[in-house]
Amino acid sequence: MRRKIAYPLATLGMVASTLAVASSPALAHGYVSSPPSRQALCAAGTVANCGAIQFEPQSVEAPKGSKQCNGGNANFTVLNDESRNWPATTVGKSATFNWVLTARHRTATWVYYVDGAAVATFNDNNAIPSATVSHTVDLSRFSGRKTVLAVWNIGDTVNAFYNCVDVNIGGSGSTTPTTAPTTAAPTTAPTTAPTTAPTKPTATATATATTAPTRTTAPANGTAWAPGVSYRTGDVVSYEGVSYQCRQGHTSIRSWEPGIWTLALWLPL
Amino acid sequence: MKARHVAALVVAAAPFLLGACGTAVDKKEAAPAATTQAQNVKNVSEITAGSTFNDTDVMFLQMLIDNQQQGQQMAQIAAKRAGRPEVVELAKAVQVTQADEIKMMTNWLTEWGKPATLDERTSLHADHGGLPATSEKEIAALKTMKKAQFETAFLNLFLGHQHNAVEFAQLELSKGGNEQAKAFAERVKQSRSDQVQQMLKLLAG
Repeated sequence: MRRKIAYPLATLGMVASTLAVASSPALAHGYVSSPPSRQALCAAGTVANCGAIQFEPQSVEAPKGSKQCNGGNANFTVLNDESRNWPATTVGKSATFNWVLTARHRTATWVYYVDGAAVATFNDNNAIPSATVSHTVDLSRFSGRKTVLAVWNIGDTVNAFYNCVDVNIGGSGSTTPTTAPTTAAPTTAPTTAPTTAPTKPTATATATATTAPTRTTAPANGTAWAPGVSYRTGDVVSYEGVSYQCRQGHTSIRSWEPGIWTLALWLPL
Repeated sequence: MKARHVAALVVAAAPFLLGACGTAVDKKEAAPAATTQAQNVKNVSEITAGSTFNDTDVMFLQMLIDNQQQGQQMAQIAAKRAGRPEVVELAKAVQVTQADEIKMMTNWLTEWGKPATLDERTSLHADHGGLPATSEKEIAALKTMKKAQFETAFLNLFLGHQHNAVEFAQLELSKGGNEQAKAFAERVKQSRSDQVQQMLKLLAG
């Protein structure tokens, strides 16, 4: 297959310049996905009512040098709001921070701060980040609940990307699994948050389904389709008066409802 | 003599006129019908978009086709290499739905007389200063990555990839002209945002 990646770059360039003029949401960039940053918790629907950041966790961009969770970006002040009871992820004496990048900028440094002081710096010498970016940071000096500020300093712009990652340091073990432990902060009961989300009811449903992979909601054949349900091949649902049979197992999400757009998932009967 | 000539011309032209009208009418009716009459469409490639469009519509479809062709490769690798059944299942569901979407988008562009592939234009990306999330290099890395690291790597890469699709959809929603393409962009925005939720939860658990 002929490689045709160049054109999106070109178009993204055009888009970026037009958007910059219109001060629309900046395209692209990145955030810490696990242990989840505050913006990741918003995007996952784990913390509700975050505002715009929910749809663009990668956009917490601001000039370098800030120590705030939002980097000083006025669009995302919710990230600084300590009253939100951000759930903390339990980590060991060290933690591995994984990044999602939506644009691979040349990178000066990745810096991790605790209590305002840098605890780890990774210098990329202005290189383009590799396929996956993850850093293991020694946190053995600390214990208990801390907020780690993770900063991606861009090499070819004045800006950086900011993330606050709430962790509970000193869980058992000296190493941290690369996937964040599921036992994160049971006392803060993050699962109660989505149920209060009036703006996005499906987030609750999706959350329930994805955190409960052992299907607790086995649908009886012919029940109405719903988002957030784990459907198996052969399951029959009804949707807008038509019966459909599931052709490929999946957890249902918005716009994967049975119909003409999703014939790959649902066969009309 | 003269009159006969005119009549002959009309007769000769009639089939073409009918053909042209027929096509045009089909296109116009198919789009709204497609959204309401589920039973009549048995194949996603039958969904049509009508004949009016602007440059953003074309760009959106071309960019998304490219995005989804890469997505197909990534999902295919994940379906083979991921450990947890939930990740495998998500990869497979993405694969089958996006395969249909690629067909549909390609048909729309063909009807509009536009190429479904992107031109090679490397010089302009400097404006933006950042490469998008995924290139051949990142996809290749997925193939060679150690199994123990695979799921975390795949989920982080595919998160970035689907965030990109949401960005394309936002562009179409704000500047696109074709109603069906905009309706499709809304679906892309929703489905990819919800996939992001699923993937972030899979990363956390």
